[in-house]
Amino acid sequence: MRRIIRRREIVLDELRYEGEVVSPGTYPVRPAADWLVNADATEGPAAVLLGAADEPEMLAPRLHRLGWIVVEFAKSGDGRGFSQARILRQRYGYAGELRARGALGRDQLFFLARCGFDAFDLDSREDLEAALSAFDSFSVAYQRASDAVVHVHERSPGA
Amino acid sequence: MYRYDQIDQTLVNERVAQFRDQTSRFLAGSLSEDEFRPLRLRNGLYIQRFAPMLRVSIPYGMLSSTQLRMLAHIARTYDRGYGHFTTRQNIQYNWPKLEQVPDILADLAGVEMHAIQTSGNCIRNITADHLAGVAPDEIEDPRPYCEIIRQWATLHPEFSYLPRKFKIAVTASSGDRAASEVHDVGVRLKRDSQGVLGFEILAGGGLGRTPIIGKLIREWLPQADLLAYLEAILRVYNRYGRRDNIYKARIKILVRALGAAEFTREVEQEFAASAGFAPRLSEAQLERMRGFFRPPPYESLPDREIDGASDAAFQAWYRYNTRRHKISGYRIVYVSLKKHGEAPGDATAAQMEALAQLADQYSFGMIRATHDQNLVLADVPQRALREVWQQLERLGLATANIGTLTDMICCPGLDFCSLANAGSIEIARQIHARFDDLDYLYELGHLEIKMSGCMNACGHHHIGHIGILGVDKHGQEWYQITIGGSAAAPAALGEVIGPAVAKEAVADTIEKLLEVYVRERQGEEERFLDTVRRLGVEPFRERVYETHHSAA
Repeated sequence: MRRIIRRREIVLDELRYEGEVVSPGTYPVRPAADWLVNADATEGPAAVLLGAADEPEMLAPRLHRLGWIVVEFAKSGDGRGFSQARILRQRYGYAGELRARGALGRDQLFFLARCGFDAFDLDSREDLEAALSAFDSFSVAYQRASDAVVHVHERSPGA
Repeated sequence: MYRYDQIDQTLVNERVAQFRDQTSRFLAGSLSEDEFRPLRLRNGLYIQRFAPMLRVSIPYGMLSSTQLRMLAHIARTYDRGYGHFTTRQNIQYNWPKLEQVPDILADLAGVEMHAIQTSGNCIRNITADHLAGVAPDEIEDPRPYCEIIRQWATLHPEFSYLPRKFKIAVTASSGDRAASEVHDVGVRLKRDSQGVLGFEILAGGGLGRTPIIGKLIREWLPQADLLAYLEAILRVYNRYGRRDNIYKARIKILVRALGAAEFTREVEQEFAASAGFAPRLSEAQLERMRGFFRPPPYESLPDREIDGASDAAFQAWYRYNTRRHKISGYRIVYVSLKKHGEAPGDATAAQMEALAQLADQYSFGMIRATHDQNLVLADVPQRALREVWQQLERLGLATANIGTLTDMICCPGLDFCSLANAGSIEIARQIHARFDDLDYLYELGHLEIKMSGCMNACGHHHIGHIGILGVDKHGQEWYQITIGGSAAAPAALGEVIGPAVAKEAVADTIEKLLEVYVRERQGEEERFLDTVRRLGVEPFRERVYETHHSAA
């Protein structure tokens, strides 16, 4: 069973990706563009996958239908997902789960959390228990961001 | 100068702890080299040819004497007794031990310094005019805005995994001593017709493999919007900059591919769309930051004639290594790190300590690093110039060559850097040896030679009046020469004069270029650069290759 971090807790993953079996209590994740084609035909909160090159803007009119947005970090070092998160949270006010998934470890957790991610499906080699401490890497920050999980004393530059 | 409060201090302390943890995980084998690399890089730690290299940040080149003493202490304790000042106003240590780096960072944190974002694909050290606050030609002191940008860029959660590195320069003078036109973003202070201070913004400049002059994308930006606008630029770049090819990943390639007009439209659209959450600077915030950069307590002094008219050495030093200060009775003093026999930009621990002492005694305890690899004592009373000169002379830091041919910019090259194709320090020695007659240098006037050991262009060769680029030809070190480049406004990229020349022929080649200049020059005031601009490359090319062929 895949384990993820959600809001500083290690929990079992309820999402199922392409090729995985969807059983009761689990939910399929569909590519965002595919889901949008028939978004209004489905019932209940949906889960979509956003690739690094996908435009988060396309989800804006349907955000109320989404329970999960999974942002894929396919390649380590590709930071596009950080911008996608801030756009979804701060520009469009998305309030559902925002999950980072892929080539990520504890060393990215703090920045991810500051950008608005609240769930983390890390590289399978990462030690999740040890990773939890990364949310407290810093107790202060210079930027106002979208902190859901970390607690920092924010001070804007010059203040 | 900016002083840390509890928040700034906590941040650097926590960064030290984080890096200590990352280093110990790497040494214990739980982080692979591939995983550790991006982590150590964003803390300025490279693995070089012989040893790690640690780059320490000197924000916009400003150092207190306490900080300089710490840099000396680090050189002596953890390195081989010296440091290398870089073209980004930083300092590099070439011989630290990996396992000691967390201790070095802890020492730095003790004097409000760090190595955060001195490398890696993130926003790098903010550079500025090294004469900020003292130059007679500036509109306003740019340093409060540098510090505002520095803080915003530090550990920015969204922009820490950019397609490539990102360099911002700030200038407030028309002379542009910060080379703002060859940065990813150039911020230029300006005043509108009512005298209100704001900025103009350039984007997409850069050197490296594809040198490009930056484009003006915003003619007027109110102060309050500085960070909001930078955030818009960075977000467009983070989303759309190329990530498939490291050589095409800088913002200049994106600006060129989209065209400046379309890039500007994208940025403006992002700027408007994020108005609801983008950072805005209040007047109180701006005023607080300006408070850190108030002028030091200058005495009220008249300008004075320099004494010692009979002393030619002092006269030459005064003429070449000092500059007019905006306050009467004071003078700006350059500390030359370009002595014959020394690697350009290097300073020993003893020199740094002595300079810290000089700064305390004569210049309000402050030292500046310049992007052309010298240091500056910015506020020396004119009455103390002779004493300062004598002390610098004893330290080997008074070579009267600032702005002349031997005031070369030079990267560490093949001697240290694992990227280099060719040596640069040796070439600097060769040039120094050939042009050791100061009177001849003075006759040649203002001349900037800039040299890089590879096309990554750390030595800014494209914007040298004479640029020298080390290239590898079948395992041998060759050098491509360009002329006509300029960092100062209007910035220009040099033109290649012809095929690369052999290592032993570099000084000969420069001599030939200068022969043409001396022959063609129209009057004392015409600089080498002006002659090249007036005549083009052709007469220089002819002279260099004609002799080359007949000799061969």
